[in-house]
Amino acid sequence: MNLDGAPVLDDAVLDELRDATGGDEEFIVDLVETYATEGAANLDGILAAAAAGDPASIVRPAHTLKSSSASLGAMRLSAIARTIEEAGRAGVSDGLAADAELARSTWVETLEAFVAAGLRR
Amino acid sequence: MSPSRAVALIVDDSAVNRKVLARHLESLDIASCEAENGREALEVLRSGGSDVGVVLLDIVMPEMDGYETLAAIKAHETLRHLPVIMISGVEELDSVVRCIEMGATDYLPKPFDPAILGARIRASLAGKRLHDLEVESAARQAELLHTIELQKEELSRFLSPQVAALVSSPEGAQLLAGHRRLATSVFCDLRGFTPFSEAAEPEEVLGVLREYHKAMGELIVEHGGTLEHFAGDGMMVFFNDPVRQDDHVERAVRMSLAMRDRFEELAAEWSRRGYVLGFGVGIDTGYATLGRIGFEGRYDYGMVGTAVIVASRLSSAATAGQILLSPQSHEYVRDLVEAEGVGEINLKGFSRPIAPVNVLRARPAAASGAGVAVASGASRSDVTA
Repeated sequence: MNLDGAPVLDDAVLDELRDATGGDEEFIVDLVETYATEGAANLDGILAAAAAGDPASIVRPAHTLKSSSASLGAMRLSAIARTIEEAGRAGVSDGLAADAELARSTWVETLEAFVAAGLRR
Repeated sequence: MSPSRAVALIVDDSAVNRKVLARHLESLDIASCEAENGREALEVLRSGGSDVGVVLLDIVMPEMDGYETLAAIKAHETLRHLPVIMISGVEELDSVVRCIEMGATDYLPKPFDPAILGARIRASLAGKRLHDLEVESAARQAELLHTIELQKEELSRFLSPQVAALVSSPEGAQLLAGHRRLATSVFCDLRGFTPFSEAAEPEEVLGVLREYHKAMGELIVEHGGTLEHFAGDGMMVFFNDPVRQDDHVERAVRMSLAMRDRFEELAAEWSRRGYVLGFGVGIDTGYATLGRIGFEGRYDYGMVGTAVIVASRLSSAATAGQILLSPQSHEYVRDLVEAEGVGEINLKGFSRPIAPVNVLRARPAAASGAGVAVASGASRSDVTA
């Protein structure tokens, strides 16, 4: 999987979000919290589908994780989720477990990055 | 509905995406409500509780995805005019094309550009508003037409249907102003009505008149006659105006025969109650002036000409059961009716006698040389008075 140029956290996206909300830091913190809950659920869905070797049911949680991660600048996780979504659509189960594991470890990194950015306690 | 008060329904399974989009809309002064999937979205829309002016629809969702939701909206009688904007990542353009073919208005690529977001939503809302205005205007127009129909109906209680229709037609003003035309005039009244009305109670007289007017009125309408007036037991009806009728003489004669038959049924009933009444008709055809007659406050649509006077005099001369047809009228329907001569009659006010015929019955269709019948010439010789 080529993840070159996909940072764990893209500051440019967060800055755009700050611009759009007039620097409403509280809103972004709340958004990150929502993301933490929602992302965890989607990750669970991905891990369960991978464990069951079920590419079809991995598509939806991977799609949602891809999309919400991109909204908050979690570009690396978004790229991984996208790869998983595409594999799921193509019905490919090979490597699904490894990709799911990569998503899980990147998820942990992403949450840590939000803490480091002061957006999560 | 101004754009600032419109509500956008955000349909996305990601709470993060919904919040981001809602926040963008808020900064554009567009209120929003949210649904997690298509099923919830349809519940919101069908409940009609919120004033949703545009739907922002994600494609991949649990329970009911964007395609199903879009299809359901487009299949719904009232929701199908609601603009639907697809929300999609740039890599999903194939899906967007499919959605637009299914009736989606537009799409919003993620990540959102606030300027594009605002422009597309406002354009959709303007389209929706235009549609709502059209619907409203069509409803108002339908209401107006309904009112006009009601007024026409009300008017036709007082006027003959042809004149009521004329009043609300574009050529009406010109026809009302007066014109000359070939027309057939029919007069009819009751024999023995004066002694009957002297002897009977007023309620009985009115009862008889009501039955008589109702029965004759139906036949006038059925034959397309224009009722100029009725006075007591007398009625004057004319044909070929304001509605043109190539067969105006034939219509006049057939109506008179039908009236005579109907009258006989009524008279049989009346004679059981002890009233002895007869029915007589006079018919003439000729050029006349037709249009508005009267004075401010009370106008009639009337016919003025020798034919009116001749028909009136023939009606007076007819004995019970007779339909007296002038020689002029007879010429038009010679092949259509069986008639008998009644000799020459001197009509009051006319220096020379005329020889009308009494119409006995219509010839059976096969023997009449159907179709030969009635000359008109009316359309060629119309003159505006």
